[in-house]
Amino acid sequence: MALQRFTFRAMAAENELQVHCDDVDLGRRGAQAAMAEVGRIEAKYSRYRPDTVVSRINAQAGGRPVPIDDETRSLLRYAEALYRQSVGLFDPTSGVLRRAWRFDQPEVPCDAILAAMVKQIGWDRVEISDRGVRLRDPGMELDFGGFGKEYAVDRAGLVLREHGIASAMVNLAGDLAILGPQPDGSPWRVGIRHPRRDNAVIATLPVSSGAIATSGDYERFIEVDGVRHCHVLDPRTGRSARGFQSVTVHAESCLVAGSASTVAMLKGREEGLAWLAELGLAHLAVLDDGAVVDASHPA
Amino acid sequence: MKALALTLLIAVTGCANVAPYQRAHLARPDMAFESNLGVAKAMEKTFPAKEGASGGASVGGGGCGCN
Amino acid sequence: MQAALALPILVVPARAGAAEVGEVGIAVLGYKERGLIKVTEPIIWAKGRFAEVWEVSGSVAVDIVSGASPQLVSNATGQPMQTITGASVTDRRKIWDAKVSRRFDDTTLAASRNVSREEDYLSHAFGIEVRHDFNQRNTTLVAGYGRSNDRIRSSDDPLLDEGRDTREYMVGLVQVLSPVAVVQSTLVATRGEGWYNDPYKQTLTFYPSGSPPFAFSGDLRPSSRDTVAWLTRYRRHFPGSAGTLHADYRYFHDDWGIRAHTLEVGWVQSFGARWSLRPALRYYTQTAADFYSPLVPRPQPALISSDQRLAAFGGLSPSLKATLRLESGTTFEATAGYVYNSRSMRVGGEGSPAFQPLRAYYGVVSIVHEF
Repeated sequence: MALQRFTFRAMAAENELQVHCDDVDLGRRGAQAAMAEVGRIEAKYSRYRPDTVVSRINAQAGGRPVPIDDETRSLLRYAEALYRQSVGLFDPTSGVLRRAWRFDQPEVPCDAILAAMVKQIGWDRVEISDRGVRLRDPGMELDFGGFGKEYAVDRAGLVLREHGIASAMVNLAGDLAILGPQPDGSPWRVGIRHPRRDNAVIATLPVSSGAIATSGDYERFIEVDGVRHCHVLDPRTGRSARGFQSVTVHAESCLVAGSASTVAMLKGREEGLAWLAELGLAHLAVLDDGAVVDASHPA
Repeated sequence: MKALALTLLIAVTGCANVAPYQRAHLARPDMAFESNLGVAKAMEKTFPAKEGASGGASVGGGGCGCN
Repeated sequence: MQAALALPILVVPARAGAAEVGEVGIAVLGYKERGLIKVTEPIIWAKGRFAEVWEVSGSVAVDIVSGASPQLVSNATGQPMQTITGASVTDRRKIWDAKVSRRFDDTTLAASRNVSREEDYLSHAFGIEVRHDFNQRNTTLVAGYGRSNDRIRSSDDPLLDEGRDTREYMVGLVQVLSPVAVVQSTLVATRGEGWYNDPYKQTLTFYPSGSPPFAFSGDLRPSSRDTVAWLTRYRRHFPGSAGTLHADYRYFHDDWGIRAHTLEVGWVQSFGARWSLRPALRYYTQTAADFYSPLVPRPQPALISSDQRLAAFGGLSPSLKATLRLESGTTFEATAGYVYNSRSMRVGGEGSPAFQPLRAYYGVVSIVHEF
């Protein structure tokens, strides 16, 4: 069975599909459909394009509810369940913090600015009703960035499966879905990026199904006075997560894996590891001192 | 349902009358309907916590957030 | 009459089941599911008879739970499966109960109170019961009423604070069939109103085609539940073999669509005056609730639960109990049991496809002293 590779740009990153399929045409058609699905989700939920449902909700903050369809409703319901389970650490209204944190300059925002930003964060002020979604206060923003990519990974994987493809890997900038083992029965070997060394791998996980998501402090960060501040920000304080260089989680879906890795990063070292253990999800974490905690089990 | 219960009631009351001096065997511990109080209580939620059915023996037992 | 009543007390070799004046006891239950929760429950109790007509009993127990319970049913890998296991949702549950009864000739009145408390669930219940013996105490009629009020919260959602009220009605009959056989049959009907949703269970569904392509739902159950449970217990002693047959059958039916049958058969074999062994086998089968589904249907319905306790499945549970009865009035008992629930164990074999087998072991040891 030939391996077909498809690379494409979406969600501001380089992405890849690897497909094993007897029928080369079917493999190509499946991959194109999967890439189209990723494009659809990006077009629907991006906060950077003015015509998306998210942008319309943000533009109407403090105003009228914006009608939403069932797909959006379910995604918001998922986000809400996660918000409750993480005791507020996972909050899709925390996107406003990007106005305070500019990762292109090594400057930590002052307390006053962060306090002002945090006042505009709060899932409790997101009103979801039959009429749609409304952000109660002007200046509030809804951001699907915390789970949109993971959702796209799962949907792309499903589209491939619907084309009859039983062995494939979807990789959207490091968040993966694996459909079945490789044609010879062996698992896919997933390399976990080294958080401190470019083009290096800190561990390799054998994966035959499910999804892998990683949260790390190396994607966007600044270092000020020897302290690293990364883009994973605590919605309650506005400050950077501490305790981990990266957290990788293996779950049945990328949605769940991505949510778990983000929340674990935000919970910090002890609570984060305890929480992942309680959830029963296989994980691999690199602590802030570089030590590796491997709870990945044979996949 | 009611007819069934009534039939059962009529059927059993027509059974043999056992005089008090014949009740030796009936007084045996292994002829009791339930285990001792503690074991019965401890086992009360063991099966119902994993099943859809519950009850039938008594009333006033209360509930639990069995998960 | 007095002489006739005095005779059984002389004739019975081992101690009779009923407490002469009272009893105290302690028991510990250990329960462990493969991969999921582990429960340890110690319980102490006491029972006392006063002035020949009063009986008071009470117990205190602590349910200590660790491990995890299934939380999310997701079909992301192709088939719906119980996936992320939530954190153990209760650490400790404390249970108190007390019962007082008073005998008036052939009639006994009893009142009971039961309180169960855990971090996210509080239950208060009371019950009243009247028993009437007639037919030379060959027949006993029982009627009872109970009421329970539950308060449901969630350690995941501090805003959740709901209630549930349940009323229970019981009628029953105990009938001596012969000097060696007795039967009890009880019918309990309940009506509950309030919150039934499980705050810790969710369903995540990806659809291959059509709209919407994805659904996520919490646990959504009706706001009322009517149930009927009919339990019949039969005890038959075989003096020749020093053995006693136990047979229990319960039929359960509710307005959620669940119908269940439970059958337990046991044999108590006595070895001398002190030892006995009771092997037993329990079989259980149930149909699924109308709104049970491991996939969120499209369009999304008002009711849906992927909690597999509402699925169609069957289960077999063998157990073995050993009892040692001493003349001093102390009884030691130890039970070991195994539980296996699966979709194929259901009568007819047509269990719910997404049902994941449950395997568990349990053991109970108890020491009771009658005085």
